[in-house]
Amino acid sequence: MTINHHPPDELLADFATGRLDEADHLVVAVHIAQCPACRRFAGAMEHLAGATLEETAPVAMKADAFAAIVAKLDELQPAPRADVPPPDVLPDDDLPEILRRCRFGKQRRVAPGLKLQPIILPSAKQSRAFLLWSAPGARMLQHSHSGTELTCVLKGSFSHEAGRYGPGDFDFGDGDVDHQPVVGPDEPCLCLVAMSGDLELHGLLGRLISPFVRL
Amino acid sequence: MEWAELIGRVAVHGDRDAFRLLFEHFAPRVKGLLMKIGTDADTAEEIAQSTLLAVWRKAAQFDPSSGGAAAWIFTIARNLRIDAARRAVRQARADQPGFIDEADDVVDSPEILMTRGEDVSRVAAALLRLSEEQSRVVRMSFIEERPHADIAESLGIPLGTVKSRIRLAMNRLRDLLDEST
Repeated sequence: MTINHHPPDELLADFATGRLDEADHLVVAVHIAQCPACRRFAGAMEHLAGATLEETAPVAMKADAFAAIVAKLDELQPAPRADVPPPDVLPDDDLPEILRRCRFGKQRRVAPGLKLQPIILPSAKQSRAFLLWSAPGARMLQHSHSGTELTCVLKGSFSHEAGRYGPGDFDFGDGDVDHQPVVGPDEPCLCLVAMSGDLELHGLLGRLISPFVRL
Repeated sequence: MEWAELIGRVAVHGDRDAFRLLFEHFAPRVKGLLMKIGTDADTAEEIAQSTLLAVWRKAAQFDPSSGGAAAWIFTIARNLRIDAARRAVRQARADQPGFIDEADDVVDSPEILMTRGEDVSRVAAALLRLSEEQSRVVRMSFIEERPHADIAESLGIPLGTVKSRIRLAMNRLRDLLDEST
């Protein structure tokens, strides 16, 4: 797999320091799992964070803090994590490991050749995450964003002005981007998307069907 | 003694003396860092305590060949800070039915944890070659989360220079990481 499109550095830094909303974090995590260069970059940010922690001026803990922790040690059993039960049916057979452990909402058709399935994230604040399938050759409507749109391609490909996006590629769109992606002709395209705000559809057709497209 | 060795003693022997040393060094620094980036003192204290508790609990998962004890502990504190923020969101939504009321570690999976092995040496080599000036501005902006205007003031440089210095530093880091094959 050759990955040609990566998240902006600022997004990776925010990812590494835990500042992204849950849906955005998930999309970056899926990209990073496949991209050694971005993994190293995020790793470098973590190293810097460690160095910063070492150099931070300490602030005294409460007098009984250590005793309070020790009191809890005795109650602790190893392996306390309750695994999330996987869904009965995964929406796709070979999703990345991180996604296989997610919970999914109900799949629905949003437009001809286009269906989506929400990912249930307990505490996403501003953005929503979903899987998006598009039919081969599908031409999306010209659109821009009132918020941000983070996309990681899982299967197939799409293209727009900035190039071709295949498996592992990451696309970042915000209010400055106005584009019309076209899905590759050979196979359906499956993407993981995190979106905040709304899509703004352009052109007469966009304005006409906009009330019917529910993304 | 190396921090990594102390964590190892906690993992293997449940060594409470080793744990105390870790607590005394790291808990006040976690608290200090959290307060520096805007967390209130009580929450910072609570997260610092939970962080050290997690160090005890997860000591066996610490990989000495990874990015080091401080980076690992930062990661734990960071995740707990996210969890705390999420709990606040969940509580705000508690009246709504259908929300899962437990802390799912959906995204904290092994494949995105610290870089390992070969990656680590490359990262370390690249960071060593980043200039002090560049490293400092990246840390102020992304780890201490200080606004650009604040950084400009404390470094005594114009706001525009802060922005370009951050950009240059990030590009340089990318190049160094690519180079050190």
